[in-house]
Amino acid sequence: MDAYDEEPNAPRGVQPPPALPEPQTSRSARPAGTHDPQAPDRPAAPHHPTAPAASTAPTAPTAPTAPAEPPRPAGLAALPLPHRIGAVAFLAVVAVAVCTHLGMVFLHVAPPNTVTARHGGAVNEWIYPEFEQNWKLFAPNPLQQDIAVQARAEVRTPDGGRHTTGWYDLSAQDGRAIRGNPLPSHTQQNELRRAWDFFVAAHDGAGRPVGLRGALAEQYLRRIVVLRLERAHAPGPGGTVERVQVRARTTNVPPPKWSREKVSTAPVLRALPWWPVPSAEAEGGVR
Amino acid sequence: MNRFVPEPSPEPSPASSSAPPEPSQAPSPAPPEPSQAPSPAPPEPSQAPSPAPPEPSQAPSPAPRAAVGRRALRSLARGVTRVTDAALGPYQTAAVRIGFAATWLLFLLREFPHRQELYGPDGPWSWDLARQLVTDNGAFTVLMWSRSQMWFEAVYALTAAVSLLLLLGWRTRTMSVLFMVGVLSLQNHSVLMGDGGDNVLHLMSLYLVFTRCGQVWSLDARRARRARAVRAHGARAGDAAGPLLWGVLGCVLAAVTVGGRFGTAEWTVPALLWAVWLAQAVWWAAGRRERTWRLRVLLDVVGNVLHNGALLVIMAEACLVYATAGWYKIQGSRWQDGTAVYYPLHLGYFSPWPGLADLLSANGTLVLLVTYGTVLAQVAFPFTLFNRRVKNVLLAAMITEHAAIAVVLGLPFFSLAMITADAVFLPTSFLRCLGGRAARARARLLSRTAARGGRAAPPGRERADGEAGETTGTVRTRA
Repeated sequence: MDAYDEEPNAPRGVQPPPALPEPQTSRSARPAGTHDPQAPDRPAAPHHPTAPAASTAPTAPTAPTAPAEPPRPAGLAALPLPHRIGAVAFLAVVAVAVCTHLGMVFLHVAPPNTVTARHGGAVNEWIYPEFEQNWKLFAPNPLQQDIAVQARAEVRTPDGGRHTTGWYDLSAQDGRAIRGNPLPSHTQQNELRRAWDFFVAAHDGAGRPVGLRGALAEQYLRRIVVLRLERAHAPGPGGTVERVQVRARTTNVPPPKWSREKVSTAPVLRALPWWPVPSAEAEGGVR
Repeated sequence: MNRFVPEPSPEPSPASSSAPPEPSQAPSPAPPEPSQAPSPAPPEPSQAPSPAPPEPSQAPSPAPRAAVGRRALRSLARGVTRVTDAALGPYQTAAVRIGFAATWLLFLLREFPHRQELYGPDGPWSWDLARQLVTDNGAFTVLMWSRSQMWFEAVYALTAAVSLLLLLGWRTRTMSVLFMVGVLSLQNHSVLMGDGGDNVLHLMSLYLVFTRCGQVWSLDARRARRARAVRAHGARAGDAAGPLLWGVLGCVLAAVTVGGRFGTAEWTVPALLWAVWLAQAVWWAAGRRERTWRLRVLLDVVGNVLHNGALLVIMAEACLVYATAGWYKIQGSRWQDGTAVYYPLHLGYFSPWPGLADLLSANGTLVLLVTYGTVLAQVAFPFTLFNRRVKNVLLAAMITEHAAIAVVLGLPFFSLAMITADAVFLPTSFLRCLGGRAARARARLLSRTAARGGRAAPPGRERADGEAGETTGTVRTRA
């Protein structure tokens, strides 16, 4: 595989700390311990492959360390046989681990198939929680609808009265924050958008929450809405948000001008029931 | 220093045993292996464990069969030597390290005003919500250790600091571990805030821990260079910071473990933390005494093997990203009819520059070409790795497309992460050239500021470019 153009003569580094404890202990070195470090079990002439590399290197590697420092023994060939066997065994373990990991990740990102039907549990066990991934980027089809999440609040005014605010288009607020912004924040680009996706995914067709995630999704969406409404000063001076209602307004993106396709661009509304807002949350509890 | 190598030799580079043990005296009727063939293959640990001696299925005579067997064994030995004797791709892994550290650092700086809303204990995804989810899925996050605002602020600031230190390559291995802890802590607290870029960073922060990503372009490399110079003059290179850092982190780790703070987290990450910490102690101890040189060399081999394995995983992961993105697109009707690229450009969330988006999608044929080109490039990418020239062309195309996505779709951090992942496939010559240029620019800058500040000393030869045989290991305090 020509994958990454390692120059055969590229300078090689040595001896940063290894990441895992070595199963071989120094005890296994003892049988060969009669050798002193100069023993002939080190590689004979250090094969010096740097000639072509040095000519291309703008800075010759020898510069700062010109005075002779004896080379350290390195590499498999420098080791006595028991160590070598240990090293190769370790290599085999790592190779198996690498292959297993890549196989698991492959099965995780692949479509459901015969193997995952049978061993899906093992794959999930390996992947979750830290190796979860999703690369269906704009695939199989890109989203072709603008989903605007809107919200309104029922507010208790300081004089004891109640009133309902108009609808605030929170996604439009995000859109305005993103427009002309070279570095959109995740709070503008991902927060509400993904919260809505999560909410939809964690609720069944009848709008009932599914499991723990359903409950979490509801609280999350409510907290985002409360935060955004407070920021937009929806409760007015002295007012407190008592309940909120969320709805999604879905509009098809109009097809391109050069296309003959006809798509209805009439919005579709999905309104959720009113949710009571805990008082701690309403009074600046979400920041 | 000469703790374990009293052999007098003028060679400044480590004894590179890149020549595999050749069973040369065997009278082989086969033509000698083209052993000098430049095999720029990436580390392929997968080939190592397959000691595939050819199947004795229907070989005509024992002689050629033996020759084939010998040849297979010899190339196996070469492969093993290759992945055990060197941490391959020093420039590529350094580029990946710098790229991801920079991406995360810039992201944290950009989100500093929004940090509370993204990851804070009272944000929309509050500490309590996070705890419920983390208890359920076993993800690792240090933010669960305390609900206090102070702790959150400290974690955020420390993560940014660690990103900077990883970028600079100071105590690279330790920083890569802390970087992983920082990335996982923030992201696992608020999984729903992330996008594809965060996902790439999450995975790569885990893989980077296993690599020797500070061999070049790092403060570690510079320190090793200086230590070598000091030792060459017969002096001892002292190092207090390494053991101190190790001790402090060990205390923290012990306190956290004893205090039960790992709580519901799955064992993977805590085990990794302990393993690295112990390995650093073994590494340090092995380097102190002359008579443990074998252990030291063995540990070096172990480090190389882990590095090369992780490098392969990083490359394969990048291929999987493209393959998945590409193959799923093929199944989509919009990618088939050639209009797919039009749609994201017209979603409110991905069109920071509506005028530009309209301009780009004004022509149907152009949109078709970009749509098909995207699918083609993504599907083809893994296969082009077999041909260096085609790979480089496609790599340039991918990097360009990601740079365009950064602006047009308003996804700068996603794009930066993807470009960094691509960088693992960049040619060494290109990376060295880039490094040399950066070093020269820095030298010019420094000499100018030095001249302005009245200092006489030019920056000398502390170049960013690496050199043969640099170590990132902690320089021992005493022999």
